[in-house]
Amino acid sequence: MASRKESTSVSSTAMASTGGTLDSPVKQIQIEGLVVLKIIKHYQEEGQGSEVVQGVLLGLVVDDRLEITNCFPFPQHTEDDADFDEVQYQMEMMRSLRHVNIDHLHVGWYQSTYYGSFVSRALLDSQFSYQHAIEESVVLIYDPIKTAQGSLSLKAYRLTPKLMEICKEKDFTPEGLKKANIGFEQMFEEVPIVIKNSHLINVLMWELEDKSTVADKHELLNLSSSNHLEKSLQLLMDRVDDMSQDIVKYNTYSRNLSKQQQQKHQYLQRRQQENAQRQSRGEPPLPEEDISKLFKPPQPPPRMDTLLIAGQINNYCQNVKEFTSQNLGKLFMAEALQGHN
Amino acid sequence: MSRFFARSDSESEESSSDDEITDKAPGATFKQSLLLSDDEEDTKRVVRSAKDKRFEELTNLIKTIRNAMKIRDMSKCLEEFEQLCRAFLKSKNIVDKEGIPPFYIRLLADLEDYLNQLWEDKEGKKKMNKNNAKALSTLRQKIRKYNRDFESEIAAYKENPQESADEEEEEKEPEDSGSSSDSEGEVSSKSFLKKKPEAPSEATKFLKTAKGSGDESSSSDEDDDDGDWSPSDTGSSSETSDKEEENALKRKRLVTFLKVQRAQDTEKPGVRKEERKKKPKQKEQIEEEAEEEGGWEKVNRGVPLVKEKPKMFAKGTEINTAVVVKKLNEILQARGKKGTDRAAQIELFHALAAIAAENNLGQGILVKIKFNIIASLYDYNPNLAAFMKPDMWKKCLDCIDELLDILFEHNNIFIGENIAEDSENLAVSDQPFRVRGCILTLVERMDEEFTKIMQNTDPHSQEYVDNLKDEGRVCGIVDRLLTYLENKGSTEEICRVYLRRIMHTYYKFDYKAHRRSLGLQGETKSEQDQEESKEESKEESKEESKGESEGEDSAVIMDRLCKFIYAKDRTDRIRTCAILCHIYHHALHSRWYQARDLMLMSHLQDNIQHADPPVQILYNRTMVQLGICAFRQGMIKDAHNALLDIQSSGRAKELLGQGLLMRNMQERNAEQEKIEKRRQVPFHMHINLELLECVYLVSAMLLEIPYMAAHEFDARRRMISKQFHHQLRVGERQPLLGPPESMREHVVAASKAMKMGDWRTCHSFIINEKMNSKVWDLFPEIQRVREMLVRKIQEESLRTYLFTYSSVYDSISMATLSEMFELEMPTVHSIISKMIINEELMASLDQPTQTVMMHRTEPTSLQNMALKLAEKLGNLVENNERVSDLKQGIYGGYFNRDQKGGYQQKQSYQRDQKSYQQKQSGYQRGGYRNQNQGNY
Repeated sequence: MASRKESTSVSSTAMASTGGTLDSPVKQIQIEGLVVLKIIKHYQEEGQGSEVVQGVLLGLVVDDRLEITNCFPFPQHTEDDADFDEVQYQMEMMRSLRHVNIDHLHVGWYQSTYYGSFVSRALLDSQFSYQHAIEESVVLIYDPIKTAQGSLSLKAYRLTPKLMEICKEKDFTPEGLKKANIGFEQMFEEVPIVIKNSHLINVLMWELEDKSTVADKHELLNLSSSNHLEKSLQLLMDRVDDMSQDIVKYNTYSRNLSKQQQQKHQYLQRRQQENAQRQSRGEPPLPEEDISKLFKPPQPPPRMDTLLIAGQINNYCQNVKEFTSQNLGKLFMAEALQGHN
Repeated sequence: MSRFFARSDSESEESSSDDEITDKAPGATFKQSLLLSDDEEDTKRVVRSAKDKRFEELTNLIKTIRNAMKIRDMSKCLEEFEQLCRAFLKSKNIVDKEGIPPFYIRLLADLEDYLNQLWEDKEGKKKMNKNNAKALSTLRQKIRKYNRDFESEIAAYKENPQESADEEEEEKEPEDSGSSSDSEGEVSSKSFLKKKPEAPSEATKFLKTAKGSGDESSSSDEDDDDGDWSPSDTGSSSETSDKEEENALKRKRLVTFLKVQRAQDTEKPGVRKEERKKKPKQKEQIEEEAEEEGGWEKVNRGVPLVKEKPKMFAKGTEINTAVVVKKLNEILQARGKKGTDRAAQIELFHALAAIAAENNLGQGILVKIKFNIIASLYDYNPNLAAFMKPDMWKKCLDCIDELLDILFEHNNIFIGENIAEDSENLAVSDQPFRVRGCILTLVERMDEEFTKIMQNTDPHSQEYVDNLKDEGRVCGIVDRLLTYLENKGSTEEICRVYLRRIMHTYYKFDYKAHRRSLGLQGETKSEQDQEESKEESKEESKEESKGESEGEDSAVIMDRLCKFIYAKDRTDRIRTCAILCHIYHHALHSRWYQARDLMLMSHLQDNIQHADPPVQILYNRTMVQLGICAFRQGMIKDAHNALLDIQSSGRAKELLGQGLLMRNMQERNAEQEKIEKRRQVPFHMHINLELLECVYLVSAMLLEIPYMAAHEFDARRRMISKQFHHQLRVGERQPLLGPPESMREHVVAASKAMKMGDWRTCHSFIINEKMNSKVWDLFPEIQRVREMLVRKIQEESLRTYLFTYSSVYDSISMATLSEMFELEMPTVHSIISKMIINEELMASLDQPTQTVMMHRTEPTSLQNMALKLAEKLGNLVENNERVSDLKQGIYGGYFNRDQKGGYQQKQSYQRDQKSYQQKQSGYQRGGYRNQNQGNY
């Protein structure tokens, strides 16, 4: 277990190195083992299936490194307690934690995910508000399914400064997004994660690994069932459907727009001709009319959702790719082993 | 006039003293006797025909007008004239029959002359007060306009005013002689006759006024009359000069009155005379009665008839057919009028019937009265929605029974609705009776009333059961009518009564025949034999149980009746109903093929939407019954198809006429609701909706589950039954799955089990205690149906199993399958063979080892998923291209490209679907190309 954690943290570090080049106040995140365990525990106790659990991360910033030293969960929401005050709860929690001498600085939040589907409007909005208030905030995404398959999946994301700009202006029209020159790739930046444990714990881990039986390790070679892929495909398909719909919407919009442009153009031309005629006859030109009133531009569809969907699709694809490459690797290894024997 | 009145006045006072009357009676002068008889005419008054009454009203009015004319009271004149016109209108039908009464014409003519005269007289006009002048002009205009209608008559009158003068003369003479001479003999029969009718009107009136002060209950009509009288009295007495003229007028009126009367009156005067002599003796009693009743009886306003109710005829009147008929007509006049006490009317009819029976007036009149009783029983409820009260209903049934008794006993009575009132022959004579009326209509109406009663009774009460017991009687009556009409009625009538009979038969399950056929099935297998033996047994049973109402097989009856209708009926509706009932009956008795053939042959499915709602309801009922029948026979698909229309709408209750849907309440108004309520089928004819739904759902399950398993990954999979899917979804949405409670939950649970190929669980869900009591026990042949069902479940589960798990197997032994599903080897073999032939299962049979070898050609679910995704991506790319095209401003360009590229690829994909292997390779190529084009 410990070794696995170690390895994933390494791998995630490696993977995140690309995102780390971005200029942001946080270059690296260091998570206490305690936090990881708490998140996992929280999901196992409260989340099932596609349900999502959330919580608050506590820690502090050291240079360009964000250290997450503790966390606490949000209680599960039900319809019954609609009057539950989250802010109140947070403040209470933090105050209580300070009393027991635990880091009480709010540095972000965490959320579990179902087959990597987390890129949503809700996440965007809440992360924006976090980052708006506390610049260094991150969101930790924990994928319990992948974790259950044998590799801990924990990723830290931040909104890119560009997206922050856009969200601040709340301008999600096609033009606005075009001007900002933002694609789905540039929405989130991933911050590398390092999991740090105290030496004592590391020692314990080593010892435990030595003692554990070999049988447990066979799991590594397990070709996970196609169920995972199917689920991913299913979700992917849903997103693709949404995407298609959005595109159709956009299509009609742009067609309407161009049609109107044409009409406007014609109208102006006619007006010009008429004015020219009048001038030649010595009559005063027609009064100028407000063209924008005559031709109300069609309501442009908001593009942010499309962008998010694209991001989500990308995410799914990454997931599937990762998953399949792992499986393929295992298959090749098995083949090689067979050939060797 | 005044003298006359004075006399009668004193007489009436005298009449209160008994001695005098009895003394006087035998030897009294004609005048006296006349007056005496008048006194007790208040009883007699009832006998006056409607004509007399009307004419009397008219004459009264005319008299007032003439009075007003004399005193030049124009406003009064106008008022009265308007009343007169109204009264005349009221008596229109009588006038039509009898011709316009001369006195009426005379008045019109006189009035016009008079008015013209007044008009000319400028001086007089000036003197008139404003009101009168105004009334004069109005009246003048009015009468001009009015008289236009009677121009010819008035002209005739003006030409020959002599006639009236003569009559006046004539009139005066007997009056004089009557008053002067004491001997009865001198009075000519003519004059007697003339006098006589006059008397009742006046005398009664007078009597009324005499005792009227105490008699508060006297009707408004009479009050009015009284009011009219008094001024005339005073007027005549005050002005002596007018007296003569007044008298003359009076006479005139009477004469004309009499003339009409005479024409109508068929009685011989001699008869009357004799009667008269007896009367005084009885008078005493009657007087007493009258006084008592006068004091106590409270009568509704405007119902003069009721007041005299107990005294139908004057005592001693010889009751013969004509009198009774007249009386009957008189009662009928009140029918339908506002304020008529309908219950009392019925009573009157009954009394009349009793009298007719008592006097042996013959069956003709009795039949006539019975007709009227029944009709007025139906009339009792003023609005269509209300239903008969139980006692009324009983009475009605009794009456119809009696009527039928009479009709059966006496062969010489002809009844028909086309017999005119005049050509009726009610009197006892050598000729057969002819009575107007239609017994069939009465019975039909009775049947409808019965339905109405059943509709309006709470079906879960004891009352309903009690009411339902009457069904036997209703059937009995219909049966009797049927035998009657078979002998006498026209084909059309026979068709109608047959339909009634069918309507009472088609929905009943013939348990006797069922049992019989069951018993015989053991002995003889072939159907023909069975048919023959059925006939035999029918005869046997007839002999055995003659007392039983239904010796005949209902199937045989239905067949006979329906075939007659098919052949003879000319109205489409009766035939349609008959066909539907026939089908229903067939279906009910599990004669599936006959029922289906009849349904298909009749082509009712094509044009039933043009029929009226009740027939459509019947059609729906029939379809449902057909579906249930198909289910019992194991024709699951047919059952499903038959029930689909009804069930898919979700309004089965409404479509079958078994209740109104709540959610429609807002949409329809009260009127519509009433109409719909009237269409409801009585509870005892209901088809169990739960049974219906269960049959439908189970059929859907048996069809849908294997289909779903076979087409699990097909994107374009259609649904066989939406409703079933809906139920499944509802089941899935349950957060907590407990053991099934309702019928639907059972079916859903069974479906789930079947999906896994677990037939045992499926079986236990479909057939268990709960479901038995809820559904299956309602079938007549429970055991057979259950066996069929188990068999079907096994077979379909096997198919589902093969569809679902074929990808898991390389090969599977048929012996194992047969063991798993407890089916015989040949059955398993045939099912698998069918699946292979239909290309549902990619496999082959290995004969020597008796195994099924799977070909493994179907794509796995993941592959299917990938295919779907690729398709979707294709669409996405296509849409994307459009956007980019639009951006670049190439209109129409992408259409061309699409036709070459995107769409063609799609088509090829569709083609590929036929063979999976091809598809995979083919599509992947296409898909990649697509992606290459679009994304990169």
